[in-house]
Amino acid sequence: MGLAQNIVFGLVTGSYIAIAAIGFTLIYGIVDMINFAYGEYLTIGAFVGFLAAGLLPLPAAVLVAMVGGGVVSLALAWLFFTPINETGPVPMLLTSIGLGLVLRNVIRIFAGGSARYYDTTTETFRTQGIPEVPVGSFDLVGDVYVTSEHLVVVGCAVAVFLVIHGLLTRTDVGIAMRAMGDSEDLARVRGIDTQFIRNSVWILAGVLAGLAGVLVGIQTNVNVTTGYAHILQILAAAILGGAGSPYGAIAGAYVIGIVVALSTAFLPSHMTGLSSAMAFVVLVAVLLVKPSGIAGAEVREA
Amino acid sequence: MSVADRLPEGDAERAALLGLGLIAFALAFAASPLTAIIPTGLSVFFEVGVLFVVYGILVLGLDLQYGHTGLVNFGHVVFFAVGGYTVAILAAQNSFSGTSLGYPWPLALVAGVITAGVVGAIVGATSLRLRDDFLAIATLAAAEIFHSVTVNVQGIFGGSTGILSIPRPIRTAAGDYDTMMIVTLVLFSGLTALTYAGLTRLTDAPYGRVLRAIRADELVTRSVGKSVFTYKMQAFVYGAALAGFAGGIFALYNGALSPEFFTIQVTVTVWIGMLLGGASNHRAVLGGLAVIMGLRLFSRFANDAVPVTATEFASLRLIAIGMILVLVIRYRPAGIWGDPDELGVDS
Repeated sequence: MGLAQNIVFGLVTGSYIAIAAIGFTLIYGIVDMINFAYGEYLTIGAFVGFLAAGLLPLPAAVLVAMVGGGVVSLALAWLFFTPINETGPVPMLLTSIGLGLVLRNVIRIFAGGSARYYDTTTETFRTQGIPEVPVGSFDLVGDVYVTSEHLVVVGCAVAVFLVIHGLLTRTDVGIAMRAMGDSEDLARVRGIDTQFIRNSVWILAGVLAGLAGVLVGIQTNVNVTTGYAHILQILAAAILGGAGSPYGAIAGAYVIGIVVALSTAFLPSHMTGLSSAMAFVVLVAVLLVKPSGIAGAEVREA
Repeated sequence: MSVADRLPEGDAERAALLGLGLIAFALAFAASPLTAIIPTGLSVFFEVGVLFVVYGILVLGLDLQYGHTGLVNFGHVVFFAVGGYTVAILAAQNSFSGTSLGYPWPLALVAGVITAGVVGAIVGATSLRLRDDFLAIATLAAAEIFHSVTVNVQGIFGGSTGILSIPRPIRTAAGDYDTMMIVTLVLFSGLTALTYAGLTRLTDAPYGRVLRAIRADELVTRSVGKSVFTYKMQAFVYGAALAGFAGGIFALYNGALSPEFFTIQVTVTVWIGMLLGGASNHRAVLGGLAVIMGLRLFSRFANDAVPVTATEFASLRLIAIGMILVLVIRYRPAGIWGDPDELGVDS
């Protein structure tokens, strides 16, 4: 497989990571917590979508998964995170780690360990006759194929980016979210109902997680670790982009997606399992060189 | 004058005496031709007990980092794993997977401690300047990277099979299995007691006060002329080296290592033990860990009593552990025996 094909895979991976990373980074920016249970939100979305897809056509099932994700996210926030909002980032991070453990195992009890597959029909589009430019055993260009699933994932991601951009710049709620991300106290002084905005962020993040979960499920499969397997990539993308910045998270997600895809291609075949660790190597490198990420916020304290 | 009057006053001295006593007893018992038999059904107590004292060293090191210095290290298992794997690779003889070099085990144990300390220094140098929650993520990432390296690099770490035929000096000295379990438990308890004694001396000294000052307010500590980063780094490396030691003795006790012994579960277990007991209090963290390990012991028996499969039961246990973490943070942020004023939390 050529470089071009791996870039395509990277863009597809980057797309669903980006959707999830936006939700993750919004929670980080506005609720001021790293939500380690966020991967489980994806898993829940994937399962809700899978169950709904048994009864409804797929687009409707996606909507059900998004609504389900939003409801679950708000309910979990109300039960676990809102009561300890004032305790600071570390207790909230630890709570989310505990919650993630609980959710993952509740899902495991109900769903077992087996994988389920969305019933989708795919079409494949191929290019023909692009010349190969081999370097050693690796091909610098090569033929490219794109499946309809790839196009759906990337299309959804672009649609999400446009909607989020519109929401954050054109609506009162979105502008209030950005204000709260800058300074919660000043936002409150200006009469913004901060708890309402927090709840909106939880719903929005849940909706995005639901969508991302279904897309991951379509691309691979639905099982109990669907979301957990991606949480570290999502986190890496969000931090890479500058925690709290949705636009940075999008850029970070594509960097992570392409790094993972290329390292899968370059690593020797018995070490391909290391490709997801590459996301961390990138993350650690970023934290060392420019901890504020591509777009911004300061995370270094001394 | 009775014996009790001649016992030293301080907590640290008593623990040191207890530790040396236990170690001497264990060594004498192992060297003697005496053997012991553990009644059937009770051996599980010894297995969990050994795990408890090994994790005890982990939790004491972690408490030095988090409880005293305020460093949110959520990748503690990586140092445990580095220590364990270093000992395994150096000391194992002709393991059919992974690398085994066959050096004498005491040398390997020393190397394990040093390697874990060095890895701690590298992780610390790169991430100790980050904000608390990002430090947690960076250390967690380090642990995940190392875990996936051990699973994927078969030539060195043996992949998911791990490394086998690590020498088991206690087994050799003790003879049969039951005697070995008893000797191991007593010997490791002694080592944990010595760790406790050493750390208590350290944290009762002015040095410990500086660490707690850093946790309370870094800026103030720096303004009175203390090099905050140096202290943080030292606390981090001490904790890492202790975890490496725990990993090393675990390898020498178990005789085989595989990545499944070093999952994030270990980190979560020691963290919950520490928070449940009450961070920044050496006795409390051991108490909290005892509660968690007691739960594990209880769950081994409870599984026979309820009609669910072992996998489902494992999930139920993890749900319980996760809920304990959530509830402790919410309702007893200072832990059961912790001091809320000392920790600066509301409860």
